Amino acid sequence: MMTEEWRLLQTGFLSAAENMAIDRAVLVAHSKGYVPPTVRLYGWNPAAISIGYFQQLTEEVDLTACDEEHIDYVRRITGGGAVFHEDEVTYSFVINEKHPQISKNILESYKTICLAIMNGLDFLGVKSTYAPINDILVNNKKISGNAQTRKQKTVLQHGTILTDVDVDKMFRLLKVPNEKIKGKMIANVKERVTSLTHELGSDFSFEDVSNALKKGFEETFDVTFTDGMLTDEEKKLATSFQKTTFGSKKWNHQR
Amino acid sequence: MKMKSVYKVPDGKLIKIFLEYNLPVKTIKSITIAGDFFAYPEESIQQLEQLLQGKPLDEKKLETMIKDFVKDNQVEFIGVSPASITDAIMRCK
Repeated sequence: MMTEEWRLLQTGFLSAAENMAIDRAVLVAHSKGYVPPTVRLYGWNPAAISIGYFQQLTEEVDLTACDEEHIDYVRRITGGGAVFHEDEVTYSFVINEKHPQISKNILESYKTICLAIMNGLDFLGVKSTYAPINDILVNNKKISGNAQTRKQKTVLQHGTILTDVDVDKMFRLLKVPNEKIKGKMIANVKERVTSLTHELGSDFSFEDVSNALKKGFEETFDVTFTDGMLTDEEKKLATSFQKTTFGSKKWNHQR
Repeated sequence: MKMKSVYKVPDGKLIKIFLEYNLPVKTIKSITIAGDFFAYPEESIQQLEQLLQGKPLDEKKLETMIKDFVKDNQVEFIGVSPASITDAIMRCK
């Protein structure tokens, strides 16, 4: 059997609304059969908070602090928790849910896709473990969070690999359920989160991580990647989603 | 009357319920089931919130209603369950 060829997109650093709009555009394009299964690797500029689909924006995010520190915020189409995106490599993976390598069982498919990320980390010399439902740990500390949705018979999973982490900044932007124990929570998160810088020192680049993740997907799914670009159709879709959805107050404040 | 609860499901995710209670008739006026869980399809949570409008805060009835809803609509929850969502609703104060 011939090795499948999938598409690799490297879209650089974009705003929160652009990033979420592109993920959705690729989902739609793939669901219509216009583009092959796609892995996209990207970053965020400005830094941003994304919240899970079911979260209430003002309950999770200090919008005033975000404005003061020039931090974007956006609601994802995926469930899960609030994430502060600054020093990280973000991936998104889009594939038909009928693909033979994608389990019908959602938890199983989380595991398979997380395995690709873990194999990628292996190429960087970082050994990791999968912590169901949606986390990847290094030395028992979280380095990656992941979230999946299924729409139009298509799987979209996106997630982050922390290259560095500023927990104090994160807690200036995110609200905590109980202000009284905020100090304790910050200390706790510092204990439970790690980053590639923490594990490897600073002698690696964004590209090193991207390449490792690409290899992780290749090895896990036994495919090869072709460097691609967003199609005109995807660009149109992304522009539209950015305007009507991810860049709109109605969407971001909907709950 | 506005009520709220924050409930961490054991071995699961966090549920935050925002509930407006219609005190004179003792029913749910409106409810938001928020949190960092996963539900497929995602739109089902809004449907569930609508379904719960006008219903009394009766633990058994709520749990049965949510269970039936999940079954009828082939909803898949990850990190929460009909029982834990009911639990979170009943914890509102």
